[in-house]
Amino acid sequence: MGWWKAAALAAAIMLVPAAASAQQTTLRIGIASADAGVLDPHLNSTTPGRGFLQHIFSGLVRLRPGELSPENMEPDLAERWESSADGLTWTFHLRRGAQCHHGFGEFTAEDAVFSLRRAATRETSAFSSDYTAFDSVEAVDSHTVRITLKNNMPSLLGVVMNYAGGFMVCKAAVEQMGNEGFRRRPVGTGPFAFAEYVPQQFGRLAAHEGYFRGRPQIREIMFRFVPSDAARDLAFQAGELDMIYGRQDQNWFTRTRALPNVRVVAMQPAEMSVIHLNMTMPPLNDIRVRQAIAHALNRDQVVQLRGRDTSVAAESVVPRGYQGHAPMPLPPHDIARARALLAEAGHPNGITIRSIHTTLTGMMTVMEAAQAQLRRAGITLEITPVEHATFHQQIRQNLSQVVHFQAARFPVADIYLTQFFHSRSIVQTPTAVTNFSHCRVADAQIDAARSETDAARRNALWREAQERIVAEVCGIPVYEQLQLWAYRDSIELGYELRAALNLAPPILHTTRFTR
Amino acid sequence: MSTFIARRFAFALVTLWAVLTLVFFIVRVVPGDPAQVILGEQATADAIAAMRTRLGLDRPLGVQYIEFLWGAVRGDWGVSLVTGRPVVQEVLAVLPWTIELTLAALVIGAAAGIPLGVWAAVNRNRATDYVIRLASLLGLSFPAFVSGILLLIFFAIQLRWAPVMSTQGGSFSAWLGALALPAINLGLIMAAYITRVTRSAMLEVLGEDYVRTARAKGVPWRAVVWRHALRNALIPIITIVGLYLGVLIGNSVLTEIVFNRPGLGKLIVGALNQRDYTLLQGMMVIYTFVVIIVNLLTDLAYGAADPRVKLK
Repeated sequence: MGWWKAAALAAAIMLVPAAASAQQTTLRIGIASADAGVLDPHLNSTTPGRGFLQHIFSGLVRLRPGELSPENMEPDLAERWESSADGLTWTFHLRRGAQCHHGFGEFTAEDAVFSLRRAATRETSAFSSDYTAFDSVEAVDSHTVRITLKNNMPSLLGVVMNYAGGFMVCKAAVEQMGNEGFRRRPVGTGPFAFAEYVPQQFGRLAAHEGYFRGRPQIREIMFRFVPSDAARDLAFQAGELDMIYGRQDQNWFTRTRALPNVRVVAMQPAEMSVIHLNMTMPPLNDIRVRQAIAHALNRDQVVQLRGRDTSVAAESVVPRGYQGHAPMPLPPHDIARARALLAEAGHPNGITIRSIHTTLTGMMTVMEAAQAQLRRAGITLEITPVEHATFHQQIRQNLSQVVHFQAARFPVADIYLTQFFHSRSIVQTPTAVTNFSHCRVADAQIDAARSETDAARRNALWREAQERIVAEVCGIPVYEQLQLWAYRDSIELGYELRAALNLAPPILHTTRFTR
Repeated sequence: MSTFIARRFAFALVTLWAVLTLVFFIVRVVPGDPAQVILGEQATADAIAAMRTRLGLDRPLGVQYIEFLWGAVRGDWGVSLVTGRPVVQEVLAVLPWTIELTLAALVIGAAAGIPLGVWAAVNRNRATDYVIRLASLLGLSFPAFVSGILLLIFFAIQLRWAPVMSTQGGSFSAWLGALALPAINLGLIMAAYITRVTRSAMLEVLGEDYVRTARAKGVPWRAVVWRHALRNALIPIITIVGLYLGVLIGNSVLTEIVFNRPGLGKLIVGALNQRDYTLLQGMMVIYTFVVIIVNLLTDLAYGAADPRVKLK
């Protein structure tokens, strides 16, 4: 061996430990979207937007990372809180020294009050309806916030947590930049600060040195917007991404799990797929027809189609894991019973029903399966496929007899029941949200549960509400689709990833690369 | 020449106005509400109505139209309804990406398509001709997203010659590496088009009397083909390149999505999905303007390619 070869070998040996010890500090996440949308936490309710913004903003409280149940609430900007005996007055004591990004100063009670009032204002917030029970929000002193309610609400902590309207914005930043400017340069108190946003390409977050829990170990997060499932998978395989949003199907799950040094997670909250039947439109105004449709559907077959690892059959009109979820027997698959019910309702030769449906592949596959199942019972389901934005507009215009909707919400039964089954939310009314079936059979129970302070009685009311909705067949719950993510096993999240309310694994200040 | 250009610009202004008017009304006729898209599926009807007011979408259509035209005349295209960023800024951010991809695809298309077309024509009905025709047919019928994925699997995953995702900045070699695969993907379609047009144009020209005369005079075959025949066959080739360049900008969306490149095509699709009226309007103006300029340049190229063509 020549001297130069020996020198090269020695240099290589010396370099190896140096290279091995250089840990990666930039996390690259692939999101299934071309854009994150509006960068205002009080306006953005999209999946990619929430996944991005959750790192910039904190709440007064937060769900313990990786958990979904509201019982796992822990301090965030507020270090402790208490409520009055009647549950109408809540006091939050803020931690001292929590800093807003980009030098906007300490986060105080004034910021919290400003933020909550902003979230409750319909001109500045998409979540204003979550705050209708608020009577007042005031700063008792520089680090104490008091919220007074008009009536009890079961999920008060849910609207002040690190989610939707509960994301705390910094008052000085909004006032200095205006709402429009703030949308381009959001400022919060989270572990990562907004650094750069290039439409269609990436959003970059930088570690917030003054984060109140400590200096983040990950120094930078690059959110790459990669709408093509195939391109995202290939980039992950090529090592250009460390974490990706998965395609919602069993094949993706099985294939990706087989990759070396990769973890694949099917996590909560599941998006529940419900087929809503418009009870005001014939022939669906006849309960026997609705029952026939419920009996004609085969839930197990749909789950088999969607994947055993990635979905589960629904067992109520409120998804699993939600506070107040009550599992109950749903109408079993029974073609003969479905035909008999139709004949009893005066339709011995079957019926034709119509649905305006989104062209989104995942949802369309399920609807086509339902179409085939219903046909066996003599029910013709005519599907009019429309582009997604059109779908959202037309189903709110009451144009579809049958509406197939898939959604996850804050995991308290009240939200799901109110938005989908309370008469206040019926489409084409001023307070409309997403009650497509015009269901009004459980209003009393939903309202009573909301103001009930006793947990056991509240749960009993929610159960009764779910039973009434199922019995009346306002909607047919079909299956729950879990959220799929893959990431390298060199990433130590710092918690066990079982769920993520913002639909993307939160990156904490303790999250790090192990190699 | 200057009269010609002035006349074309006058036509261009009328075309621009017509396109702007059409786009303004069409995007508003299409179902789908930007306020609903912005606020998401949990927003109440009240909140959506408030957002429509904030965006100015509740005002009479005529008022919105006049305001839009007046803004357009002043060069103010407004701000994106969804992101709140100025439309000009949004478009300019992606325009260089589109231009570089389109030009690179054009170069690849012409460099491969013209020689192949000529080669097929001079070997008419021989094995070479059949192979080239079959290849061009494949190029035309192969969906861009399939060829894109195949290119990525082979060159980015197996060989690791290029990145899967295009990135901004970096060295010249990084830029070239990121541009190569998308440009080849789009260039192959362009090459297929150009091959077919060149072949048929050449076949027509090769049957002309002057070609026979040139051959009879003893001009070498190579010179006949490249100097006499090809030059005369260039007019339809330039036409197809000019026409296709406009189409290419729109068609590049699949390539942009697969290779994760920003670009006008992807921006248009995003704006359509989100019903971002102002962004759509701004992009349509740019797109129309580019097509008009390309057509003008095509007309000017006729004169350069064939002195018999006079531009009046």
